[in-house]
Amino acid sequence: MELLPFFEWLEASALGEAAKAYGGVFAVVQMFHLLALALLGGTVILGDLRLLGLVMTDVPSETVIRNTQKWFNAALALIAASGIFMSGAVAIKLYYNEMYWAKMTGLGLGIAFVYGVRRPLLLRFEHATINPWALRLLAVTSLIIWFSVAACGRWIGFS
Amino acid sequence: MLNELLLSLAHWLDAMPWSTALHESLYLYAWVESTHVLTLMVFLGMLFIIDLRMLGLIFTDVPASTVADRLDVPMLIGFAVMVATGFILYFAIPVRTTQSLWFRIKVVLLIAAGINALLFRARMKAADGSWDRDPKPPKRLRVAAGLSLALWAGVVMTGRTIAYDWFDCHKQLPYLLYWAAGCVDEMAQFE
Repeated sequence: MELLPFFEWLEASALGEAAKAYGGVFAVVQMFHLLALALLGGTVILGDLRLLGLVMTDVPSETVIRNTQKWFNAALALIAASGIFMSGAVAIKLYYNEMYWAKMTGLGLGIAFVYGVRRPLLLRFEHATINPWALRLLAVTSLIIWFSVAACGRWIGFS
Repeated sequence: MLNELLLSLAHWLDAMPWSTALHESLYLYAWVESTHVLTLMVFLGMLFIIDLRMLGLIFTDVPASTVADRLDVPMLIGFAVMVATGFILYFAIPVRTTQSLWFRIKVVLLIAAGINALLFRARMKAADGSWDRDPKPPKRLRVAAGLSLALWAGVVMTGRTIAYDWFDCHKQLPYLLYWAAGCVDEMAQFE
């Protein structure tokens, strides 16, 4: 599938024009992208560290997962919306940026992992009934995926 | 006077070989900068969750003091990493950063956020615990939590903006902005 036409269209679209025309707006959207990163990463890290038995050990892990999921959703929505806006300004440049594709691959993997594996498993079953090594593996996988997405995202700017 | 002092300190740091080496390094600067940004997830992530608990928006089924107490250590570890990498970033580009309007606002907001955090802690400790299990803490704590969120968000936002050169000293700016950014040479041209 040839994706370049889509990126050319995006850059020429009203969104791309708006994102390019107002440097200040781009910068403000970027700030919200960063704040959403903190919230998204925070909810992921808290849930995973709890599954690993490293924080909030006196609070049931079910409670931690249940409480953080709503804010993860909110952060994901904000980070995706701000990300789409920013990509409009530099769409063609991103198309040729390897780190961008690494990040998008990781992001797709992360979303599938959260909504397809982590959440169905952790919300449907009592955690005590799950093999502890499966829980640890789940937590470490989650940390690696989201750290990679964030790190690749930062590296887009350097590459 | 203060501006001259800060600037001479910045020039002194700038003259150090390590400062230049770090700034001109192929990857090290980017690694330090990335660590600074990614640690936001640890420091600010934990802070967000504590403040949201104080606003009654998350973990309402867990005592507020438990959330604040258990997340304190990961938050402070994140903060320590951010401060350390922040100093290294300043050391790599001292002169421009000293004369950055955004960096100056960031430092002021950091101090304000720090004072707010200390007051917050004092209030938490002085509290008799009667509200600890309430889903929504008393108003004075919610105000402090809202203020904390706003101040730290401001620190992140102004921190990101340091990278933009809109108000750098070499630009044609009104006197007020030169003054705020501490552009001593450019201010002298007005006299």
